[in-house]
Amino acid sequence: MAGSPPSRPRSFQYTSPSRTISEILGEDRNSEVRHKLRIETAWKEHERVREDAERALREHNQKEEQRRLLEEKRREEERIRRDEQIAAERIRLNALKAKKVEIPPVLPDPEPPKAPPAAPVAKAPESAPSPTPATATTPQLNNLLNGTTAQKTPAPLGQPAPNPFGAPPKPSPFTQASLQTAIGNLQVQSKEPVAPTPRPQPPVAQRPAPVPIDRYTIIHTNLKALRTLMTQQAKVNKLLKQRMGDMRRDIRKSVGQLTGGPAGTNRQQQNKIMENLREALANQVGSQLVDPNDYLLEPRSYAQGGQQSPEKLPSLFLYLLNQFAKAAISQFVNEASARPETADPVGVCIAATFSDPNFQWRGQSLIDILMAKFRIVCPVLFGFRGSEKTLEGRKRLGWKKEHGSWVDEQVHMDRMTGLGAGFAAVSLRNFSKTKKVNPYPPRNYWTAMAKIVNTPSPEISNTQAVVLKAMIQNYEQKFLEHYGSAAIAALRMCLFEFPARVPAGSQSAAINSLGVLATQLQRDSGLVLT
Amino acid sequence: MADLASRITKPDEEPAPAAPAAETKLDGDEEVGSALVDATYDVEIKLSDLQNEEGNPLYSVKSFEELGLPKSINDGLLAMNFKKPSKVQETALPLMLANPPRNMIAQSQSGTGKTAAFVLTCLTRVDLNQKTTPQALLLAPSRELARQIQGVILSIGQFCGDLTVVAAIPGAVARDTKVEGSIVVGTPGTVIDLIKRNQFDTKNLKVLVIDEADNMLDMQGLGDQCLRVKQKIPRTTQILLFSATFPDKVMSFAEKYAPSANQMRLKHNDLTVKGISQMYMDCPDQDKKYDILCKLYGLMTIGSSVIFVRTRESADEIKRRMESDGHKVSVLHGAYEGVNRDTLLDDFRSGRSKVLITTNVLARGIDVSTVSMVINYDIPMKGPGEREPDAETYLHRIGRTGRFGRVGVSISFVYDKRSYQALTYISNYYGIDLVQLSPDDWDETERKVQDVLKSSRAKPDYAPNAIKVD
Repeated sequence: MAGSPPSRPRSFQYTSPSRTISEILGEDRNSEVRHKLRIETAWKEHERVREDAERALREHNQKEEQRRLLEEKRREEERIRRDEQIAAERIRLNALKAKKVEIPPVLPDPEPPKAPPAAPVAKAPESAPSPTPATATTPQLNNLLNGTTAQKTPAPLGQPAPNPFGAPPKPSPFTQASLQTAIGNLQVQSKEPVAPTPRPQPPVAQRPAPVPIDRYTIIHTNLKALRTLMTQQAKVNKLLKQRMGDMRRDIRKSVGQLTGGPAGTNRQQQNKIMENLREALANQVGSQLVDPNDYLLEPRSYAQGGQQSPEKLPSLFLYLLNQFAKAAISQFVNEASARPETADPVGVCIAATFSDPNFQWRGQSLIDILMAKFRIVCPVLFGFRGSEKTLEGRKRLGWKKEHGSWVDEQVHMDRMTGLGAGFAAVSLRNFSKTKKVNPYPPRNYWTAMAKIVNTPSPEISNTQAVVLKAMIQNYEQKFLEHYGSAAIAALRMCLFEFPARVPAGSQSAAINSLGVLATQLQRDSGLVLT
Repeated sequence: MADLASRITKPDEEPAPAAPAAETKLDGDEEVGSALVDATYDVEIKLSDLQNEEGNPLYSVKSFEELGLPKSINDGLLAMNFKKPSKVQETALPLMLANPPRNMIAQSQSGTGKTAAFVLTCLTRVDLNQKTTPQALLLAPSRELARQIQGVILSIGQFCGDLTVVAAIPGAVARDTKVEGSIVVGTPGTVIDLIKRNQFDTKNLKVLVIDEADNMLDMQGLGDQCLRVKQKIPRTTQILLFSATFPDKVMSFAEKYAPSANQMRLKHNDLTVKGISQMYMDCPDQDKKYDILCKLYGLMTIGSSVIFVRTRESADEIKRRMESDGHKVSVLHGAYEGVNRDTLLDDFRSGRSKVLITTNVLARGIDVSTVSMVINYDIPMKGPGEREPDAETYLHRIGRTGRFGRVGVSISFVYDKRSYQALTYISNYYGIDLVQLSPDDWDETERKVQDVLKSSRAKPDYAPNAIKVD
């Protein structure tokens, strides 16, 4: 029917426009002239209708064409945008890869090279090109196992040892005085943010790192100081004391009540958390004001959206935000460790809370508070590495100590499982349907993953494998949504190439689990990676 | 650890050459080792120095692979995040898998992997090509437990091809159908019925497992039925009895039921899992218990929790109060039946609800790994008129938390002389110290709970190492 004119309805009123009763009854109604005239009229009418119809058809076709073009254009743009994204991520991945491989060979050594080298070190990491072979036999070699070494400036061989005989290391000028109070097993790392000096042979065009990564440990220490400040305030401020504990317990309880389910399942809990934070922000109890910059990776100036934000924020608010972060981490450690899928609702709650404009400062979220905690409890997410068989290695891996003894291996691995899942739950949120800004966008997930899989073969640890598995399991779908085919390539690297690089003899249950996960993914979601 | 010596490059305070003897001391004594903690070089150490927990029921030196399990089963364990066998698995598995098969009576603390141990045995013993021939029968005291075991078999066996596991529980097998599966899990009554009606062919059974064996073999309860099951199976069937508790009066019967068995036993006061922090809350009176209960959830991080109550009425009332406080609650007691009970428990298991309020029907065996708190809203009692404290039930109840080395808390409510005396009896029976909590100052109570949690795993006496194998 598409090409033919619409058939004329019977009751069409223009059928015989000139026909009147008189005409019908007229003498010449059957004359030839009349007949021809009538044929003529009919033919014209026919032409008119036909033209009308053809025009309508043309217009319709044009509209269709236009719509199709628009649609195509939109799709094309979408594809380009996606490709660009993938390309950008690929570049980033490549940059990361390139960066990791070339670990600076020599380290500044705070220890005296006094100890007689007991024996030639058996296992020199192949990945470390060592232009100064002399150092290879010194004890500092093992420091190479530390992911942080990548940020250190190689020191000349004969550098004087500032810190002989294993005395407690002095805090570097970069760490704050409060650091001394601290965090026993992190002292080694917190010494290290001496980093901003560029490395000698930058392997790739290096972005200037304005802030060393270990700013996080400083934030963590500052948060501890904040807690002390709150206890002190509570001693003199009755109002504060009355509310602080209840608010903290309220938040902890609400975080514990979060469950999976359709949207809105956790509205009551989310509201409760927000309510407490708003109350703290209003600061009717009169807690001291503090500078939020102490808890941020990079300081924010007045110019950066500071117009709306006050210079300082109530300490109670920052304290509660810290308690909220703490409750979330604890939920990951205690609950998601046993059932990783419980991390997801907590991740949603974190994203909703930190992205709320009310709880932002100078135009950005305060999520660094949470990430500082992640950095302490699960350092492998931030590129730190270590051997599970050494004291220092365990510390770098975030292996917890309780009352002087290391927690059981199963407990450690469970913790790492919960934290890996928690990290994915926080960093793979989809903000495309909201006007809010994602406080911790997926590129952080990619970076963390890259930092793990780019570990030089001899330094791969079970902890990394466990964290990696937990980051992927239950999140492969979200990862694919964000990164498309690049995600598939990344998963292949994580689940096949990474475990395959583990030196023979070091295969373990944790490493083998990655391959089993691939089998599971293929079986359950048809994702073929091989 | 061949290169151990070579890696010791320890510049000590006194510049002595590093010796392996000095190095092995590293961990045990912190005051000596503190200088080492600050050092910036790495020293490799032995696992036994890192974890001085030979007696820990979860400690093991072996891997599952070393126990000679097939790859398909090992992959299932990896998928479930099991990395290493627990003590009971490491000790009992080789004995159970040895040929010719020998019977086994095994006792191990709650949450230490008993289920996985006997499931691994069954999976290894059955011929999976005979899909319709029942070759292993597992009996449990309740339908919930039977379904749970079925779930564990399917999880561990997820890479074992077409594994068929039939649940022989009320309402699950139609009257005129045969029981066709390599493995059958059920409750004794239903299994007896199926055998009597010739629906269940037992002549190819290779393994019979009785979980919660002390409860199952109790002649006042299910003992008679278990005996009848035994009469219906081949005499060559390997019999495995498992439980966390084996009171003496049941033991002699158990030894007859499973003759000349290998045995793994625990001493009286090694029964409780030390990883569970046991506390009690001093409530001013019965009515205050509701409010206090709700407050507990702010004191520490809680995943899921189980609340044991005496009556159905108080269960329903607690549910109402807790729901208004924002909790998602399931109630499960005798008033619910069959499939309803399954759904309620599935909600809890899957995390759709995080609080489970129940009467004693679920004290035993139920394993929900995220349970981090158990509340004895009423102290368990037994006997006529419920006059006698029920120490065994207490133990099984608190064993719902602290699964597989995780942190768990149990809080028992006392409010009058009777409940106080009952709890005192129980704590004396097991030789445990209960920490007292008070509802007067929540800041203080929170601090106390946090302290207890921090020290839970690190107690010097955390070494219930009385596992002996005869």
